[in-house]
Amino acid sequence: MNSQTKITKESKNKIRADFDRAPLSERLKAKYLNTFFYKKVISYLFRFLLLLGISYVILYPFASKIMQSIFSPADLLQTDVLLVSKYPTLDTYQYLITENGYLEALLNTGVLSLMCAVIQTFICAFIGYGFAKFKFKGNSFIFGLVLFTLLVPHKVLASAFVQHFVNFDFLGILESTLYKWLDWKTGLHGTYAPFVLMSATGLGFKNGLFILLFRQFYRGIPDELEEASYVDGYGTFKTFFRIILPCSVPMLITVFVLSFSWQWTDIFYTNLFLPNSDTVLLTSNAFWSAMPATLKEISETVLLGNLTATNSYSAIVMNTAGMLVVAPLVVLYLFCQRYLIQGIEHSGFGGV
Amino acid sequence: MNTTVDTKNKTKKRKRASLNTRKARMGWIFVLPFVLGLILVYIPVIIESISYSLAEYNTISAIQGGGYTLTWVGLDNFKEVFKLVVDSKTGETFIEMMVTDLGQQAIDIVAILMLSLFIAVLLNQKMVGRAAFRAIFFIPVVVGAGIMTKIDATSATILSTASGMLEEIDTGSVAGGGFGGIASAMDIGAMFESLGFGGELVTIVSDLVGNIMNIVNRSGVQMLIFLAGVQSISPSIYESCQVEGASAWEIFWKITLPMLSPMILANAIYTVVDAFTSEGNKVMASIIGENGAISPDPIAAAKAWLYFAMVAVALMAVMGICSTFVFYQRRNDK
Repeated sequence: MNSQTKITKESKNKIRADFDRAPLSERLKAKYLNTFFYKKVISYLFRFLLLLGISYVILYPFASKIMQSIFSPADLLQTDVLLVSKYPTLDTYQYLITENGYLEALLNTGVLSLMCAVIQTFICAFIGYGFAKFKFKGNSFIFGLVLFTLLVPHKVLASAFVQHFVNFDFLGILESTLYKWLDWKTGLHGTYAPFVLMSATGLGFKNGLFILLFRQFYRGIPDELEEASYVDGYGTFKTFFRIILPCSVPMLITVFVLSFSWQWTDIFYTNLFLPNSDTVLLTSNAFWSAMPATLKEISETVLLGNLTATNSYSAIVMNTAGMLVVAPLVVLYLFCQRYLIQGIEHSGFGGV
Repeated sequence: MNTTVDTKNKTKKRKRASLNTRKARMGWIFVLPFVLGLILVYIPVIIESISYSLAEYNTISAIQGGGYTLTWVGLDNFKEVFKLVVDSKTGETFIEMMVTDLGQQAIDIVAILMLSLFIAVLLNQKMVGRAAFRAIFFIPVVVGAGIMTKIDATSATILSTASGMLEEIDTGSVAGGGFGGIASAMDIGAMFESLGFGGELVTIVSDLVGNIMNIVNRSGVQMLIFLAGVQSISPSIYESCQVEGASAWEIFWKITLPMLSPMILANAIYTVVDAFTSEGNKVMASIIGENGAISPDPIAAAKAWLYFAMVAVALMAVMGICSTFVFYQRRNDK
C-alpha cells in the first residue's frame, strides 16, 4: 500500500495523495451487489408502495368527489362518463354557494367551532391537570365517570338531551328571568347555549378523550416544576397559568385542532340543538342535504324523470356540499398539520 | 433529646397533612367544571334516558295542551326488545344482531389496532416523502368523522333506492368507497382456497379487504397515539440492541411491542368505544332510528341500555385481556 501511494505537493497548504484503487466496476459491485443492499432496496420499495397504496385509499374518495363535483346532469346520461366530466360545469358550486347561503353558514360554523374549541381545550386542560396532580378522595371515581361519559354515546341520549335543554332550569330562576328577557320559547334548545354549556363542563364530543390525554400529559411533567413555583410564591392557579399551560403548548395545539375539526364536521349536535333555526351551519341539514332550487330545475329539464340519473345527481350535489364543508378545514389542516403531529409527538403520551 | 425530635416530627406531620388537604381542595376546584356538568347536565340526562326505557310514551294531543306523558311499565320494554325482530326476511332478532355485530366489531378492532401500529412504525422511519405521508394519513382524523360519513351513507341510500341498474355511474365512487370491487376483482377467495385455507378465514379476509377504506379511516387517532408512543422510546435502547446484533424483526417483538403495550391498551379501549358507539354499525343505526330520535322512544332507550350493558362487558373483557400483557417500564417516581 505504502509503496503504491504517491504524494505530491500541490501548493503550500495542500498535498495530494494518489493511490491505486480497485477499478470502478469492482467497487460498484462490492457496494451494490450484496444481500444487504438488496434487502434495503426491497424493504424500501415495499414500504413506499404500501404507504402509497394506503394514501390512495385515503385520497381516492376526495379525488372522485372533486372530479364529480363538476359533473353536469348531461354527463349522467352518457354511458361512457365515469370519472372525468364531458360537459364540465361549475353550476353545482355556484348555486350551493348562492342559494344555500354557504358564506353565512361558513361564518356561523367558524364562530361556533372556534368558540367550542377554545373552551374545550382550556377546560379539558384544567380538568386533566386536576386529575393528574392532585390526590383527593374520589379522584379515581370521578375519572371513572369521565371514561363513562366517553363510553355512552350521546346519540342514544339524543331525545333526553333535547328534553333536558328545552326544560333546562334551576329552581325556576332561568324561566322567570333569562328566557323571558330573551324571548327563548324552547329554553336553551335552539341556541348556542347547549354547545357552550357542554364544552365548559367537559361533556362535548369526545371531551373524555381530551381529558384523558391531558391527564397523561400532565402526569409526565415532573412535580419539581410545581414545587419550585410554590417555593417562589406562586399559588396553584398562578402556577397552572404561568408555568403549566406554557409547558403544554404542543398538547394544547393537538387538542385544539382535534376539537375544532370535530366540531366543524359535527352533524349530530348541530341538528339536535339547532334544528330549523335561523342560524344555518355548514353541517345543518338545511345546507348540505338541501338541493338548491335552480339545480333541481336544471336536472329536471335535462334528465326528464330518469330516476337513476336524478338520484345520482342529487348524490353528486350532496357530495359537492360535503367538499365545500371540508375544504376550509383541509386548507387549515395543511397549514397546521405540522403542529398537530409535533404536538402529539412531544406530548409525552408515551409515559402512560 | 428524644422529646425534641418527637415534637419536631409532629409539627412537620401536621403541616404536611394540612398541605395535603389544601391540595385536595385545589384538586376539587380543578375538576369542578366536570362535576358541575355531571350534576347539571349529564346525570339528569342519563336518568331521563333510563326513565324512558322503563316507561310507556304517549303524546297528548295539541287540543289538550300538547306534550307527552310517561307511564311506568317496569321492564316491559326490555322484554319487548328481547323478542324484537329486526330483519323480517331472515327473522333475525335484535339480540342476535347484537351478537353478530359483536363478532364483526371484534375482527375490525383487531385489524384497526394492527394496521395503526404497523403504519405508525412505518411512518416513524426515515424515508423520502415522510412528511407528505404523515399529512395524508392524518386527514381522516380531521375530516373523516361526522359529515363525510353521513354524506357517504346518505348518498349510498339514495343510490340504492334508485330503481334501475346503476351502470351509468360508479356507485362506489360516488358513495365514497368503491373498494368493494377490489376483493372480487382479485378473487381473493379463490386464491386462498387454492392455498388450502378454510372458508371462514377466506370470508373474514375478503371482508377486511373490501372494508379497507373504512378501517383506514377509523384508525387515525390510534396512529397518532402509537406514533407518540414510538417516538417516546429511547433511541439508546435500539442502539444497544443493534450493538448486540439483534435483527429488525427481533427488535420489533422484543423492544417496540412491549414498550408500546400501554399504548396498545389505551388504543384498544379507545377503538372498542369508538367502534361500538359509531353510527356506522348496524346496532347503533337501529337504536338511533331514521328520524334521529328527537322525541322520546322507550323501545330505543331500552335497546340502547341493553346494548350499552353488552359494550361495557366487552370493554371489561378487552381491558382484562390487554392488561395482562401490558409491560410498564418501571420508573423511579412510581
